[in-house]
Amino acid sequence: MTKTTALFVGRRLLQVIPVVLAIAALNFLLLQMAPGDAADILSGQMGHASVEFTEQLRREFGLDKPLYQQFFIYMGKLLVFDLGVSHLQQTPVIDLIVDRLPATLILMVSSIAIAVVVGIALGVAAARRQGTVADGLISISALIVYATPAFWLGLMLIVLFSIVFDVLPSGGMMQIGAGLTGIDHALDVARHLILPATTLGLFYVAIYARLMRASMLEVYSLEFIMTARAKGLSESTIAWTHALRNALLPVVTLIGVQIGHLLGGSILVETVFGWPGLGRLVFDALLQRDLNLLLGILFVSSIVVVIANLIVDLLYGLLDPRIVHK
Amino acid sequence: MKTARFLSLAAAALLAGAAATADAQQPKKGGTLTYTYHPEPTALSTIATTAVPVALASTKIYESLLEYEGAGLTPKPGLAESWTISPDHLTYTFKLRPNVKWHDGKPFTAEDVKFSILTIALNYHSRGKTYFSKVSSIETPDPSTVVIKLKAPVPYLMRAFQPSETPMLPKHGFTEKEVADKQVRKAKIMQTSIGTGPFKLKEWKKGSHIILERNADYWKAGKPYLDQVVLRVLPDGAARAIAVEKGEVDLAPMTALPPVEIQRLKKMKGLVSSEDGSEGLGPIMWLEVNLRDKPLSDVRVRQAISMAIDREKLVDVIWYGNGKPARGPIVSGNPNHFDSTLPKFEYSPQKANKLLDEAGYPKGAGGVRFKLTQNFLPYGEEWVRQGEYIRQELGKIGIQVETQSLDMGGWLKRIYTDWDYHFTSNFTHNYSDPTIGVQRAFVSTNIRKGASFSNSMNYANPKLDALLNKAAALPDGAERKKTWDEVQQILRADLPVIFLIEIGYTHIWNKRVHGLITNGISMYSNWDSVWVE
Repeated sequence: MTKTTALFVGRRLLQVIPVVLAIAALNFLLLQMAPGDAADILSGQMGHASVEFTEQLRREFGLDKPLYQQFFIYMGKLLVFDLGVSHLQQTPVIDLIVDRLPATLILMVSSIAIAVVVGIALGVAAARRQGTVADGLISISALIVYATPAFWLGLMLIVLFSIVFDVLPSGGMMQIGAGLTGIDHALDVARHLILPATTLGLFYVAIYARLMRASMLEVYSLEFIMTARAKGLSESTIAWTHALRNALLPVVTLIGVQIGHLLGGSILVETVFGWPGLGRLVFDALLQRDLNLLLGILFVSSIVVVIANLIVDLLYGLLDPRIVHK
Repeated sequence: MKTARFLSLAAAALLAGAAATADAQQPKKGGTLTYTYHPEPTALSTIATTAVPVALASTKIYESLLEYEGAGLTPKPGLAESWTISPDHLTYTFKLRPNVKWHDGKPFTAEDVKFSILTIALNYHSRGKTYFSKVSSIETPDPSTVVIKLKAPVPYLMRAFQPSETPMLPKHGFTEKEVADKQVRKAKIMQTSIGTGPFKLKEWKKGSHIILERNADYWKAGKPYLDQVVLRVLPDGAARAIAVEKGEVDLAPMTALPPVEIQRLKKMKGLVSSEDGSEGLGPIMWLEVNLRDKPLSDVRVRQAISMAIDREKLVDVIWYGNGKPARGPIVSGNPNHFDSTLPKFEYSPQKANKLLDEAGYPKGAGGVRFKLTQNFLPYGEEWVRQGEYIRQELGKIGIQVETQSLDMGGWLKRIYTDWDYHFTSNFTHNYSDPTIGVQRAFVSTNIRKGASFSNSMNYANPKLDALLNKAAALPDGAERKKTWDEVQQILRADLPVIFLIEIGYTHIWNKRVHGLITNGISMYSNWDSVWVE
């Protein structure tokens, strides 16, 4: 890493702090606007609660204090990375997040991998065959997949691979109680991962394929490609070595955005496949007005998103040396 | 017709015979029972919250003083092997079973019972005050004797000792600080398990599953039969149904499956379904009506609404046959308190129209008499469709209904804190006694802002209040039954809510599972006699 890049990274990391704190403050205030609180929900769940009981819960949760006090207490704790205790689960928020983060990351990374590899390959293939039947087929299929709701696609994959062919498990992350370890455990998780990662990845395959195709076509019209052809390079060398690298920038940008989406946006896929990730936790926390848990997850995901975007910025420099970080 | 009836009776007899043969099989030891439910429990003790998923899991770990038989929950010995009740119903003496151990090996004693009732249940269980606020003292003359003294009789006290209602917790499982700082709900024991029950916690992978394993030191010799009880958390209803269908999951209890899936799975070979076993919970649904303003303050308008709704159709079409039309505030499966002479509610749009005409609400432009807003419980698709059905039926008698959608937090606030609604679907439990589950919705002292599932309607009837208070103090028997009969008749006449459906909790299980339905709280029982082939 050059000195300028190191300085760039350092400065960007410093910028992360106010950004993340501002996001947390905004989240705190926004979430106050939802009617009802965790004490209402919990006493509602219990079916029979007196006013005193609900107030007792509110006191236990610290929700009886004035809003500004709650705000300063929360932000004060946040500065020392204390995310507080989940109101409904009565467990430290950080423990709940750490429990779920690995599952989310596995699903995220594998679906991005599927999306990027397949999407780019299809996009390049379509661009190279612009106007042919193959191009049309790829474009139309991408459109269909893009328009298919993920939960429906997931259920259909379950019906097909889990019920009809009976080759893959219908849900969960592992065989429960099997006590597998090491490589057996990894293989077991991988087997459970195939359907959810494919479902989630397919949606992005469609986007990447479309984006890659457009980007490649743009690059194909540039003069250096004509030069390469004039030099007598083969079409596949031109595509994979010369055009691809130049056409990748928009795709890399999209990956940065996709990471943000996937952190919370895989709720539907997690739901259908019973995948124990963060998305579902966010959703439940929201419905249950579990403010601490919700804020904690949003805090962690804002950090992940900001850092992912920093990495994307660095990748720009690698892909296109003309981009210099000042 | 007669032939058809005979045939169906014969088929029922055959089925009953087959079921009897299956259950007559010798129980087998070992094996795992996997059930599915969503949401995931937030704790493993009903002290933290009495929400259904917590009650389902924790009742296998924690026991109470008694066990129960039959739909009406007749007490039988549990952790208490015998008991006596004084003639004035003010002193209950329980003799505890000797040699019962907590999961950590320490002995279970009378001190634990006193602690569980007075320190924990009374202060933290959502119904603790209902059961124990009249307790004047608990004495523990020796480690195996508990004497509960009351200031006034509590007719349902003998039904309070269910594992979900008054779980026995070890005094040594809490730190003094947790108790003193009122941080019991945050105590570590809420997420682990130190009970006396047939199963103990082996593994909890949040978001995925909970494994309970056999307690080898369980006090009942030879029990439990199962090696493991596993909860698989599957957030999607269709995915849960698929797991049951595939045999990956053995049991979907209570509301684990969406009604449409229940209807489909009911017909499948290899699966068994039953609506029995929840009589002690008594799930019931009604339309809660805000009586503060016209036109809903007029009983004729409420009668008209009641007559405009075809409850049979509601059960069959919206709920796919799960449940039956309600006949009053108490579910018909409650053998102790339901007034079986109550007729079905009449369905007659013509009479409904006539009542509204008489009440002074003639049809205006477009056939509309007046407009109302309805809310619905945000419990899923069926509740939305029920709202659509009600809107359509009320439209036919000239009541134009606008439906408003809210999530749980918003719904609770609007109905119970703001009282800002016209009518809403609502769903509650009778529990094992109407004084616990029914009184709270209708007694006028419960017209209190912020109290969920209370008297949001602003219904105040001094005669009913007097009857409810009387029933709350009478011992179970003919006079109490008569009092409750009268309550049911008054509520049917006054209609502070429109009674709709006794929702059916249809449990579906794989036929390799046996011994599930044992009493009126079968899913909240400890499953020590459940076995799998």
